[in-house]
Amino acid sequence: MALKSAIRNLRSNPHLLFVRLPKLLSLLCIVVGVAWLLLLPLNEYSRRTYISENALLPGQVHAYFTGSEQNIFRGYKKELQAILNDETKDKSEVTAGVSDKVQSIFEEAGLKFARQNYEYNSAGNTHEGENSYAIIHAPRGDATEAIVLVAPWLTADDKLNLNGVTLALTLARYFKRWSLWSKDIIFLITPDSKTGTQAWIDAYHDMHPASVQPLPLKSGALQGALVIEYPLEHRFQTLHIVYDGVNGQLPNLDLFNTAVSIAGGQMGIGANLQEMWNHDDSYEHRLQTMVRGMTKQGLGYATGAHSSFMPYHIDAITLQTKGEGWEDEMALGRTIESLCRSLNNLLEHLHQSFFFYLLMQSNRFVSIGTYLPSAMLLAGNFTIMAIALWMRTGYYPESKPVQSKGEKASAEKAKTSNIAERKLALPLSLVVGLHLLGLVPLWVFNNISHQYFTTITYVVLGVDIILPLSLAAILSNGLGLSKPLIPQQYHLIKSFSLLLLGLSLSTLATLNFSLSFIIGLLCTPLSFMARLQGPAPARLATSGLGLILLNLLSPPTVLLGVCWYTNVSVETVLTEAAFGWDVWGMWTQVVVWCVWWPAWLIGGVLLGSSIF
Amino acid sequence: MTVLSLLSLPLVALLLSFCSSTVVASSDYHENLLLHPLPQSALLASFNFRSNTSQESFDQQHFRYLPRALGQILQHAQTKELHLRFTTGRWDAESWGPRPWNGSKEGGTGVELWAWIDAPNDDEAFAKWITLTQSLSGLFCASLNFVDSTRTTRPVVSFEPFGDHSEVDQLHLLHGTLPGEVVCTENLTPFLKLLPCKGKAGISSLLDGHKLFDAAWQSMSVDIQPVCSPEGDCVVQIEQTVDMVLDIDRSKRSRSNPIPRPVPNDELVCDTSKPYHSGDTCYPLGKTNDKAWSLGQVFGRNLDGICPLADTEGSHEESVCLQVPHERGVYISQGAQEIKKDDGFTRCFKLAPSTPFDLSIPQQTVNVEVPLDEPVLHAERTIVGNGQERGGMRIIFSNPSNASAVDFIYFETLPWFLRPYIHTLRATITGRDGVSRELPASKIVKETYYRPAIDRERGTQLELSLSVPAASTVTLTYDFEKAILRYTEYPPDANRGFNVAPAVIRIVDNVHHAPIYIRSTSLLLQLPVPDFSMPYNVIILTSTVIALAFGTIFNILIRRVVSLDQASALGATTLKGRIVSKVVAIQDRFRGKATKVE
Repeated sequence: MALKSAIRNLRSNPHLLFVRLPKLLSLLCIVVGVAWLLLLPLNEYSRRTYISENALLPGQVHAYFTGSEQNIFRGYKKELQAILNDETKDKSEVTAGVSDKVQSIFEEAGLKFARQNYEYNSAGNTHEGENSYAIIHAPRGDATEAIVLVAPWLTADDKLNLNGVTLALTLARYFKRWSLWSKDIIFLITPDSKTGTQAWIDAYHDMHPASVQPLPLKSGALQGALVIEYPLEHRFQTLHIVYDGVNGQLPNLDLFNTAVSIAGGQMGIGANLQEMWNHDDSYEHRLQTMVRGMTKQGLGYATGAHSSFMPYHIDAITLQTKGEGWEDEMALGRTIESLCRSLNNLLEHLHQSFFFYLLMQSNRFVSIGTYLPSAMLLAGNFTIMAIALWMRTGYYPESKPVQSKGEKASAEKAKTSNIAERKLALPLSLVVGLHLLGLVPLWVFNNISHQYFTTITYVVLGVDIILPLSLAAILSNGLGLSKPLIPQQYHLIKSFSLLLLGLSLSTLATLNFSLSFIIGLLCTPLSFMARLQGPAPARLATSGLGLILLNLLSPPTVLLGVCWYTNVSVETVLTEAAFGWDVWGMWTQVVVWCVWWPAWLIGGVLLGSSIF
Repeated sequence: MTVLSLLSLPLVALLLSFCSSTVVASSDYHENLLLHPLPQSALLASFNFRSNTSQESFDQQHFRYLPRALGQILQHAQTKELHLRFTTGRWDAESWGPRPWNGSKEGGTGVELWAWIDAPNDDEAFAKWITLTQSLSGLFCASLNFVDSTRTTRPVVSFEPFGDHSEVDQLHLLHGTLPGEVVCTENLTPFLKLLPCKGKAGISSLLDGHKLFDAAWQSMSVDIQPVCSPEGDCVVQIEQTVDMVLDIDRSKRSRSNPIPRPVPNDELVCDTSKPYHSGDTCYPLGKTNDKAWSLGQVFGRNLDGICPLADTEGSHEESVCLQVPHERGVYISQGAQEIKKDDGFTRCFKLAPSTPFDLSIPQQTVNVEVPLDEPVLHAERTIVGNGQERGGMRIIFSNPSNASAVDFIYFETLPWFLRPYIHTLRATITGRDGVSRELPASKIVKETYYRPAIDRERGTQLELSLSVPAASTVTLTYDFEKAILRYTEYPPDANRGFNVAPAVIRIVDNVHHAPIYIRSTSLLLQLPVPDFSMPYNVIILTSTVIALAFGTIFNILIRRVVSLDQASALGATTLKGRIVSKVVAIQDRFRGKATKVE
């Protein structure tokens, strides 16, 4: 009964229905969305990880990589060191010498060896290198499936990964002796963690650009990839598992779980994630881990050599050695041996378990069903507002609600003035035009040379101040070209813009939850932007203050702010972003410039129009 | 009757002895083993068993060397010539050189079968083919019964009969492959049972499933064909071969300790010339060909003399041959006789009957190597592209010869759910200089035989007649689309994808006239697979729960419990009836829940 009357009340009071209620609902969506995310680390909302694919059987086999294999490891390492530390040779000679040595080691071990040259150009920088790789043919296999072991010469932190490469060479010789492999094993030695694997995996699927050589030697469908990073010169303490892929794609959770279970359970080496070295399983630490994961996912950059595999639906992780402890390279080798044995067991491509998850501890996660509502609520707040505005422009007269002179009069008035014609042309073309304008900064930031990045950022910052104001001035005064906009058109502009924003963000939430959440959070004020009314001084003051605050949330300001906070130069960030666009196929910029920026501009225009 | 049969017995025996004396020349059995050490401590062991039966005794179902089980199947299915292959692994042409028997005794990965069947028309030929595959499936414990119409093709130019056939027969060639079939011991046992000595004596006693199926590559073949002399005497010849490439190191491991554990420090073979060489640092030496091995170590058994049925007279006396340089020492068991051939690399052994034979090669550094020929053509076929909808096929042919072009037939059968776009067939040629040029496919492809697929009925058959110029590499590419299967068409068990049969390449060698066959590796095609496990569980479970709950609740909600006379009133269509029914309804309402459950 109470509900019935509330609804009846709402229907009789259009102001409440069209103006107050949507704002309340939007606010509620935002608050619940954020609160939802904050609840996730609690035990009640997250789950313990488990191995879903029974075939993996992690840690069920004994790893034999010990004993005299270490002598061979030392021998290979000395051999490589001798070339790397040769002072008489220049850099290119050293690279060539190392590559030849790697080839001779692989070939002596009985592997098929091949090389691949590649070159990438991005933001005025040239990245070139040579991948070397070797294949162990599965003794009774038919080249239909393969596992990849990657050892980049430079780790993701640009440190020399001598131990990692040597370990890969030693493992290649050791694995060759086993006859149990059901899949080929490919050992890939890349010059760095950024470009090498990308060039190789693109060429493996024949999707490479012209500057990348095709692969002379191939195997079957890749079922999984492991990256070995051991840049330390001492024994290590724990393994750091990096799993984020390009565009926030993640490897199958089973692979991560297998690595954690083998490292922790079988080998007794701790496993960390997201650089959380002292995770005490408290709420704060879980939240921090999750937020770090979300940041990486949201930015969508490649966090290591494994990231390039993800777009091809190949599950991959990086194993990094961290800390100072008493685990040596043989322990890492046994971990990898055991992981390879697990992957070797796979009868199908990894498909069980989860591809969408947030990890908050090496053995705790939230799956998509639990976390998705938070980003969806954030995106939904824009849609609610957009639909409310659309209805309002159609049904609700713009004048202040008439105080009731009697129920009949009001009802009659409502009947006559309830229908309003929508003037769509200008709002639509403005919204579409501004979204298309987003292509300009997108093109500029991905095509100019890196030394201009800082300047261009400030230019965009300036544009962000001037463009909304000038657009607002043109729209409010018409400049003689057209009639000044009526309030309904402002509402329509906002409605379309928010509709697009809500639509894009809710779609994005299913693909890259974190990016959608971050952008949604930064855009929340846009739901409440409107052309202010009222007496001039107060209106001017409020809108001026509002514009300043809004500018603090503009894309370039956020970029500058984050760079200042993390102490990274803007140029580095943007060079990386351009590199991501050119090489990794990273889509973050598209979301920023074609979703966030236009929506933000329209918010600015609406607020700015209050001044005029 | 009894008297008659008793009387006729000596007659039959006499007839038999008479027959055998006339046909003895064409009824014989030979077996031969060739051992050829290959680079990287591999060993090629080539077993060959061949026997002949005269056409007359074959027709009269008088089987001596030819196994009855197989002979009757052939007669029943009107099969004139049969070729059956079981293959696993890859022949590494780069290290091991050309294939044994020029590739004519091997098949693609899995099982491959082709036969010439005598039938008046295509339909009857196919019916007989099905009979043949079903029977062979039982005989060899292989899934040959899965060679249905979608896996059967009728190659036009890729295969030619080896045997001599009479003009009268209307022969139909049918070819089927099972690329996903795992060849294992259950196929070896029936294979050995077909041999006259059944793996008990002679070289076949070396064939042990543990070693055979630990090989890096192995192929078993059965060929049956009629062979006629110019005079018109025909015999039915059965030839069985087993070829395998063993890894000597791996085979030498004892069965009780098969795990390749790291060797003790003092057993490491290190390069002592390295400056850093010490007790804990070792740069290992590469694999050499001078390792010691013996038959007993490598095969895990001894050779039990010779098969007494084998023809020991004439030129086929040497049943074991070994290809190592003559300067290398070889120890053999007592009683056996070594015969060195003139080529400097081959030596054969004449075995003593019923004495175990072993052969052992000590470790010895030899300067001369057995020369390996360069293969005439390298071929590689891979699937490129990614995604669930489309893909591409890339086939690379490289001609290592600097002098002459290679002409060959490329034959491939594709399952119907892989739909090739033949109009996208493109050719790229790369010379030794590494510059690649695109040219129209017609420049490389001389002739095309293409039979498009019909969904769920037959696969695509593509035969191309190609020519690759000297010292160049030709890359053929075409695009294809992956079909979406019905959910019942997915295999019920775990699957990694669908196997695409290997392509067969037949090189027409004008010099030797014997064709050379090369087979590519099989491919794995990943089709869009619904995640059967999770959504299906959810859908099935929720549907069941809803059906149960909904059914019960709906039933309770709408059923009105009335007495029999009231029911008849309710069903009435007359005015009176309707009034009565209304009354009943009102009564129901007043009585409330006692009769009507809401």
